[in-house]
Amino acid sequence: MSRIAPALWTTCAALALALPAHAMEPQDILDRVCTTCHAPRADGSLPRIDDGRRTPEGWDMTLVRMMRNHGVRMTGEERATMVRHLADTRGLSVAETEGWRYILEQEPVAVDEAPNQDMAEMCARCHSFARVAVQRRTREDWAHMIHFHLGQFPTLEYQALARDRDWWGIAMGDVLDFLAENYGYGERVASLAADLSGAWTVAGRMPGRGDYAGTMHVMAEGTDYEVHLDLGFADGSHAHFDGRGLVYGAGEWRATLSDGETEIRQVMALGADGALSGRWFDAESDVIGARMLAAREDGTPRILGVSPGHLRLGEAAEITLTGVGLSGAPVLPEGVSAELVSESATQVVLRVTAAAEAAVGPVTLGLGDLAAPLVLYDRLDRIAVVPEVTISRVGGNDGPIAKVPAQFEVVGYLNGPDGAPGTEDDILVGHFPADWSTEDFDEVAAAMEDARFAGVIDGAGRFTPGDAGPNPERPMTTNNAGNLWVVARLEQAGEVLEGRAQLFATVQRFVDPPIR
Amino acid sequence: MRTLTALLAPALLAAAAPAQARDYLIAPTRPDRLVIVDTEAMAVDKVITIDMAAPLPSLPVVSADGRRAFVIVAQNEEIVEIDLESGEEVQRLILGTEQERVKALFGMDLSPDGTTLAVYESPVGLFKNHFEVRPTRLSLYDTATGALKARAEAPRQVTVIAYSKDGSRIYGMGREMHVFDAATGQKVDELPIHGWGKGEYVQPDVLDAWSQFEVAGMVTTPFYTFREDGDPEDPEAYRTGLLTLDLETGEMVMKDAEATDIFYFSTVADPAKQRIFGVYNQLASFDLETRAPIKRVNLPHSYYSVNVSSDGSTVYIGGTLGNIGVYDADTLEKKGQIDLPDGHSMSLASVRLFTRDE
Repeated sequence: MSRIAPALWTTCAALALALPAHAMEPQDILDRVCTTCHAPRADGSLPRIDDGRRTPEGWDMTLVRMMRNHGVRMTGEERATMVRHLADTRGLSVAETEGWRYILEQEPVAVDEAPNQDMAEMCARCHSFARVAVQRRTREDWAHMIHFHLGQFPTLEYQALARDRDWWGIAMGDVLDFLAENYGYGERVASLAADLSGAWTVAGRMPGRGDYAGTMHVMAEGTDYEVHLDLGFADGSHAHFDGRGLVYGAGEWRATLSDGETEIRQVMALGADGALSGRWFDAESDVIGARMLAAREDGTPRILGVSPGHLRLGEAAEITLTGVGLSGAPVLPEGVSAELVSESATQVVLRVTAAAEAAVGPVTLGLGDLAAPLVLYDRLDRIAVVPEVTISRVGGNDGPIAKVPAQFEVVGYLNGPDGAPGTEDDILVGHFPADWSTEDFDEVAAAMEDARFAGVIDGAGRFTPGDAGPNPERPMTTNNAGNLWVVARLEQAGEVLEGRAQLFATVQRFVDPPIR
Repeated sequence: MRTLTALLAPALLAAAAPAQARDYLIAPTRPDRLVIVDTEAMAVDKVITIDMAAPLPSLPVVSADGRRAFVIVAQNEEIVEIDLESGEEVQRLILGTEQERVKALFGMDLSPDGTTLAVYESPVGLFKNHFEVRPTRLSLYDTATGALKARAEAPRQVTVIAYSKDGSRIYGMGREMHVFDAATGQKVDELPIHGWGKGEYVQPDVLDAWSQFEVAGMVTTPFYTFREDGDPEDPEAYRTGLLTLDLETGEMVMKDAEATDIFYFSTVADPAKQRIFGVYNQLASFDLETRAPIKRVNLPHSYYSVNVSSDGSTVYIGGTLGNIGVYDADTLEKKGQIDLPDGHSMSLASVRLFTRDE
């Protein structure tokens, strides 16, 4: 049965589809399907369903569990209808998800920090703590959830960090108290009434590909939106995606778009400032993606991006400011001169020159009343590879689980006023291209020849892991896991700067729910 | 006539000869098989397919005469009795009901007289709106009828269940070694496991999911701990210990054995109670009395389960994948390998040894 789960979950794309007219209305589904088990209480409320609030992904996971474990039969359209209805009526505010949105955005690297050691060991040893924090429940419903955990996964109390303690006693004691107190039901949140139709200017940086800017056209169509996304990258390449998007609840923007070859998902939130922020990623490989900031062109003037955000002394470069409502003359810092190359309300291109004798460090590049950060530098003091530590996962090889790559970037630093590397006053200059390679991390890795078997890294810092399954060429026919140094080298005026990160090339994620 | 004579002669010989006890291994494999291995022939003797057993028959318990086995099957929710000679299913215990799901995860044993099957159960109530985790319990079933004879609440987190040799006690390995009365199932005593070594070692970590105590009449398991005053940078501060519970005397001993440079998934004691063998990516032997390591060899792949011949001369390693490795108990040299049919894996199942008079 568990094999069905990934198949169901990967159809999350269905959530962004328009609803055909023949689909059952959500209230019908609640009344005719859900109440079979969740019979209304005397006050008309539905047990469990009315006892919690969740994100759209959270509700979808609940529905999939109802289908997979409890025999509920729903069409894809009905499932999409129900997620929409439940997220609209029993969702979270964007503010309630703040600090935890990485788990919805499928950020490949995030620090998931539980509020204390107990909660880290009791909850976050199996899944992210964010998964807990993007739910609200009554105390009784949290208790049901704990019973569900051990009832559904009876070996849970035998696992490491469970068998060392009275797991059940702690779960129904301190853990239940903590959840009820910190993530209690709270108040229902109104769904968004505003229409997001219009032209949006977008900007961001895609690790491995670089800065981008563009336009997202959003047009209301029924209860959803038609979406067209045009992106221009700093390397001169372009991308165009079309598809559909919608807003769940108070401001959860989700869209599924395609350029004809690659399907991408957008997971963004509508902030109090009216901007959409979040991430888009390859639907088949969520490591591959980019953060995105979007503002409506008729909105409050603001700068969304500056590319590149750094300039070497004695050199000239075209710097592109992307934003909305851009106007006014450039306001230049000392030692910097500029010529206007082109200007519009959403993009201003300047040819900027930094004098050889200008001071290094962060400065502000102004445009009318707006300002953007810029870093002037002469030579980098050091480089670092980010993320410092991450994982990739073996896959493919005719198996059902795709490889999970890892994407690295190089960031350059100045030592700052104290002249010492790795201190608080270090200045982040920006991202730089480099030459990439991998090495065995330690003696054990060298003995196993991990660097030979675990995978390869390309010129853009993307590591592609090896095939899944036992490898007869390796000792004990072990798989293509490995412990690697990812090494970046960058030449700067005759010297070579080197940065390193650690990569655990590990095994597949066999259970991969929408909220990990 | 000649043909008849030729047929009769061996039959008469067999009838005249005294019964020969022969060692067999019983290896459950995915999704629904019991593979019986003749250890003398080093070959598969019989493959029994159990109806509705998937995904893995996990724990087999063989009767003293080697002719019947009780096996946990069907997602650990049913127990079948199998006639090992005919391969037929004799009876089936369905542990739960529509309102209560009951799993037997790791612990089941037969009383020495064969009349009672002790099963450690994890029940959960199934309501329309929610689940209700219920107290774990020890249930005693009549092996002849399948009827429940006694049941008592038992501490949570128990794995291996084993009868004392005299049949008066049942041991349940959990956070402590719980001791139950064999007639009522009530807990009557406990021997310290988490409580062991205080002042010298931190709380030991034990996870013994493999029942392989039948040859020596001794439950053994590795455990892992750390010297209380140890330096986290010092590899010698991380300790592997070995626990033994003698089912004859009831004596339980936990003793530090070596620095934790490798892991063992499970261990077995030899019938002379002189050695312990541990297995995972290596096969190792230890002196049972002192726990001193004797020998260690690398293995071609991981093995989770280990057992030993009734004369103590041969060690069998199984579990994980689809073959059983055969090793000399003294030298730990590989003597052979038995490939199980179709490469089906034993996964987490216990590979057990039984003896049958032929």
